[in-house]
Formats: sequence, structure tokens, C-alpha cells
Amino acid sequence: MYAVKKRIELCIFISYIMKTVITSSDKSFLNLSELRRYSGLFKYLSLRDVSVRYKQTKIGFAWSIIRPLINILIFGCLSILVDKTQSPTQKFLMVSAGVIFWQLLSSAITEVSNSLTVNSNILTKVYLPKLILPLSSLLVCIIDFLIAFVIFILLFIFFKGLPAWQLVFLPIVILYGLVFCFSLGLLFATASVKFRDVKFILPFIIQILFYASPVFLSTEFILKLNMPEFAKIIYQLNPLVYMLNAFKYCIYGSFDNFNMLYFGISIGITFLTLIVSLKYFLNFEKSFADYI
Amino acid sequence: MSQIAIKVENVSKKYNLLHKQKNQADSLIGSFGGGIKNMFSSKKTSTLNEEFWALQDINFEINKGDRVGIIGRNGAGKSTLLKILSRIVKPTTGSIEYYGRMASLLEVGTGFHGDLSGRENIYLNGSILGMSKHEIDAKFDEIVAFSEVEKFLDTPVKRYSSGMYVRLAFAVAAHLETEILIVDEVLAVGDAAFQKKCIGKMNEISNKEGKTILFVSHSMQSVQKICNTGIFLQKGKIIEQNTIDKIVNRYLQSGDTGQASFDIPLPNEPINGHITKVIIENKQGQILHEIPVGSDWRVRILINVTQPIEHFIVGLGIVSSFDTPIRTSWSLPENISVGNYEIIFDNDDVMLTSGLYKLVIGLSSHVRTFQYIDDLITIIISDAGDAANNNRIINTDSGLILNPMNVTLNKL
Repeated sequence: MYAVKKRIELCIFISYIMKTVITSSDKSFLNLSELRRYSGLFKYLSLRDVSVRYKQTKIGFAWSIIRPLINILIFGCLSILVDKTQSPTQKFLMVSAGVIFWQLLSSAITEVSNSLTVNSNILTKVYLPKLILPLSSLLVCIIDFLIAFVIFILLFIFFKGLPAWQLVFLPIVILYGLVFCFSLGLLFATASVKFRDVKFILPFIIQILFYASPVFLSTEFILKLNMPEFAKIIYQLNPLVYMLNAFKYCIYGSFDNFNMLYFGISIGITFLTLIVSLKYFLNFEKSFADYI
Repeated sequence: MSQIAIKVENVSKKYNLLHKQKNQADSLIGSFGGGIKNMFSSKKTSTLNEEFWALQDINFEINKGDRVGIIGRNGAGKSTLLKILSRIVKPTTGSIEYYGRMASLLEVGTGFHGDLSGRENIYLNGSILGMSKHEIDAKFDEIVAFSEVEKFLDTPVKRYSSGMYVRLAFAVAAHLETEILIVDEVLAVGDAAFQKKCIGKMNEISNKEGKTILFVSHSMQSVQKICNTGIFLQKGKIIEQNTIDKIVNRYLQSGDTGQASFDIPLPNEPINGHITKVIIENKQGQILHEIPVGSDWRVRILINVTQPIEHFIVGLGIVSSFDTPIRTSWSLPENISVGNYEIIFDNDDVMLTSGLYKLVIGLSSHVRTFQYIDDLITIIISDAGDAANNNRIINTDSGLILNPMNVTLNKL
């Protein structure tokens, strides 16, 4: 207790000398030290989203088990009906792997996109590093994903045995996926401060991405289709394609249609999206309260 | 020498107002068509831009430990100024320097979530306002004690009464450990007992801890209690910066608040006599823009009589803002000749609660009313006044009539 008090006194002393200047020509920049100072807020905002999620539901947290299960069952069974070439369990597990990772990616895009407009009451009433809002909306998606992933791995072990050793790469793949979805979401979130049209168009974008990614239809299947060549190129440039296939690779140990060139380009696109969206966000950040 | 806490130089804030051209958005089809048109044309043909300067060329300095009241009518730019100072919006021109940490309380309970418990909301709200977990932990018991919601700490705040909600929210903010605190109108909510407690707390923190406070309120009473200096804003410009008493007086005399004299337009059809002016004033004849609650006031009505009138009666009614007639008084019937008259209605018996009231005036001759004014005159009874300091009156705005009954407490 004494140590805490001393620490607070020290903080107060330091802050007395601290000088802040606001000018009209202030340019925003990525202020990492400020973000770190607000890590407490990040924590509480994330926890808020998590603990509010299933409030006033009868079964509460059980929903985060039931929801992925239902999703897996729907798409898994559908895939067995459509494609009879592979063994049913094989096909079922393959599609479920795609579905649970897709759930993470799509919910990350949606949550991040809505994070600014949903928190407009905070944005207009108090100063905070605004990047914290989209960042803190990610935790809910991650927790839901982890639960779904445990369910999936149990099913996998039950039907097929242990996953491949490549599983160790999984955290990198997930992180990479989150970076891309965060960037895309941030772009939509910033645009939606001024244009609420984003809210209406977003579900369609998510739906298109679903079919343009190897969630339900594998890359192998798409590339064998009778499609113009340029459509196939565009398909492979979608960063989500390599992301989802990399996820499956981590579990199965084999990569669906790996192509070094496209792989490199899709990574490039991911980081380009990150830079563009951050730039757009930071340019516009200071005017949020005027427009939202 | 006193240290400077905040220095504001040449700050202006411009907003662009969009005016839609009329005929378009009038109908659903029109607005739909406009939307389609906007989609295909990059030029905004259907809107006109107008610049609006919410603040113009604001310069001031605030010393460390000062408690500054910012006063002005609605739209004077008070809230915009606070938002710029607290870094929520960016100034169009100018710069601001301040020393130390700043916290702003522009709303009670920013970020409160109805589904979270009181305990969780203390942590969430505290961190939104810029407190660290250590600070909140250290202050937690004090916050709970101040808010008086110990029993309901684990109840979702959506089940709280509005009073409990406000108390909890203010308690968090009152325990902020910042050198500069910006407060906007938050005391307008909550009951009088709570407001007194808040004002006490704010006095305490500013006196003991040397905190610099910027405070906006429409209640002159609380501004005078909390602040020692003041800034008077009008239409986005600073009119005066001075000690708080001088600023409050200047504001009350500026006519920027309520209206004290009402010119009554000539009636459409010729009548024998008509009201020219209605003036609200105190016993000494000084006009009152706002009537301090609990003090005597009177209505002076000037009448111009062009033809002799028999059995002439003037009636005055006071109507509450909920359209409840409260009292009506009549003059004694008289036969009057041509000339100018004044008639005075003294209100020295009934204490009205603070708020807005409407005056209704009628002139009649033998029971036939020939001039009737019912929607021209609104008066304000302000919450700053003797009654506010009367310990038998807890709340200056509950009910309509404030005169206390005779109350005795006997032990049986």
C-alpha cells in the first residue's frame, strides 16, 4: 500500500512539470508511449465488451460454445452434401477449420469497423488516444475464437488424431490475420465517422469475402473452375486466401496451392492496407468529434 | 508570483453549417432523389455552405489554483471552449498551453455501461477519465463512500435510480488526481442535497489541493459558490475576465439571461386602452432579468388609455411552465379618463420555486375583456437567492410554491 502511494505521488510530481501544447496545426502521429500509458483503459474497455456480450441471456457464456458449434455443424454438413469425393469426416473437419478462423477474421473486421461509431459518446466527451477503441474491440473476437478453436481441436483429435507439428506456427498466422482484419476494419471505421453508409455496405463486403476466400470452397476447387485467368489472379491476391490456407496448413501440414509469388504479394497487400488505414485514421483522428 | 496553469492564445473554432436547399428534402421522395443525385455528382449542388465561428480570437491566462467560472447564454461557445481545452476537438486557429494533467468532466458518467455493475463502472469510468488502476484502487473506498451506493455495488447500473447513477458518476470524477479539472454543467442533474455535496467537494479539492478548476454552469448560485474568477463569453468572444462577483453581475445586467421589460405590440383593432410595456423589477424599482428565488418582486404594467373606460379592471395571472395557473389577482374596478397609467402587482407573499413562469394579463371593462396577453411574457426565477440558503428549504425547484409550512417535531 505504501509503495502504491509513493508511486502515485511520484506520478503527480512528474505531471506537475509536464507541459502540453495544443495548436491548430497539430499533426497526429502514432504515439506509442501514450498508448502504453492508457493500457489500463485498453484493458477495461476490452473487458467491458467481453462481460457485456452475453449479459441478460439465460445461458450466458455457453453461447460462445454453442455459436461456433452451430456454425461448424451447418457448414460441415453442407460440405458433405455438396462434395462426395472425399470422406465425410475429412471434408467436415477441413471446412470447420476454415469456418472457425473465418469467424475470427470476419468478426474482427465488423467489430473494428463499428468501434468508433458505437463509442461516439466517449469520443465526444473525453480525450483519449482514439486508436484504443478499435484495438480494444478485438479481444471479444479473440476470446470467441479461442473457445471455438478448443472445440475444433477436440473434434479433430477425436476423428483424426494429433494435428501436424506445424501447429507451432499458428500464433503467427492468427496475429497476421488480425493485422489485416484490423487494418481493413480501421479503414471502414474511419470512413464511417463521416459516412454511415459503411454500416449498410459492410455486411455485403463480408459476404463477398466469404465466397472469395477458401472457407467453404477450397482454393483447389476455385482454381479448377472454368473462370477467366484474371479472375483467378485476383482471387489469389486476396490476403485472406493465403491466411486461411496457412491456418489449415498449421493443422494439416500441407498447403493448398502454395505459390511463393502470390504469397509474397498478399503479405505486401496486408501491410500496405495497414499503412494506408493508419495514415487515413491519423489524418482524420482530430476531427472525429466534429463529425461523429 | 502565481504560476500559470493554462494559457490560451488566439483560439478560434469554425464550423461549416450545411443548409439543404428547401424543396428537395421536403418529401421522402425528394430526399431519396437528392441522395441518388449526390451519389453521382461530386459537386454538392443541393447544399449551401455557411461558416459559423463558434469561438473567435479567445485569449486568456489562468493561474494555478484558480477556480474559473465560464458564463454565457446558450450558444455563447462555452462548451466548445471546454471541448477544445480538453483536446476533444481541435481549434481552427491558435494554441493552448497547459501544465500538468488535465481531466474533463463534460458529462456525468461518460462510458458508463448499463449492464455493468457499479464496481465495474467505477473502474471503467475512472480509466476513461484517465486514472490508472493504482489510483482507482487507492481511491475506491472513498469513491464508494461519497456515492452512498455501497449496497448496490454489484447491481448493474441500469437498475439504479437516476440519483444513484449520478452520485456514483460524480464520485468517480471528484476523485480524479489531476491538476486541472474541467467541469461542464454536470451539477444540473441530481437533487439539491446532492448538488450541495458536490459543491462542497469541489470547494474542498480546489482549496486543499490547489487544483485549477474550469466550471461552466447556468446556475449563478453554484458558480458563485465554487469559483473565484470568471470569464464572460458572448457570441464566441470574451467580453470580460474578472473576479466572479463582477462577472456574475455583468452577466445578470447584460440582459443576456431573462428578459426584464417587455414591449407589447399595438393591438390590431382599435381599443380604448392598451398595454404598452410590462416590467419586472424589485421593490426598489431595479429591473430584474432573473428573479432571485425567495425575494420579493413586482410587475409594473404601463397602460395607454385613449378613451375613458368605465369599470376598468386589470387582471394578472401566473402560470407555471407546465401550464398550471398558480394565482390570479385583479385590480379594484375604477372609472378612468384618458392618459398614461401604471399599475403595480406586488408579489411579496407567495414564494415561487425556481424555474420559468408565464405571465398572463387581461384588461377589461365591465367583465368584457378587451385586451388579453398570454404568450408574450416569460419570467425566470433563478435558483440563486435567499431561499436557497434557508435551511428549511432543501430544494428550490420542487413543487410550485416554496413557502414552508410550520413544521414541528415532537418526541412522544
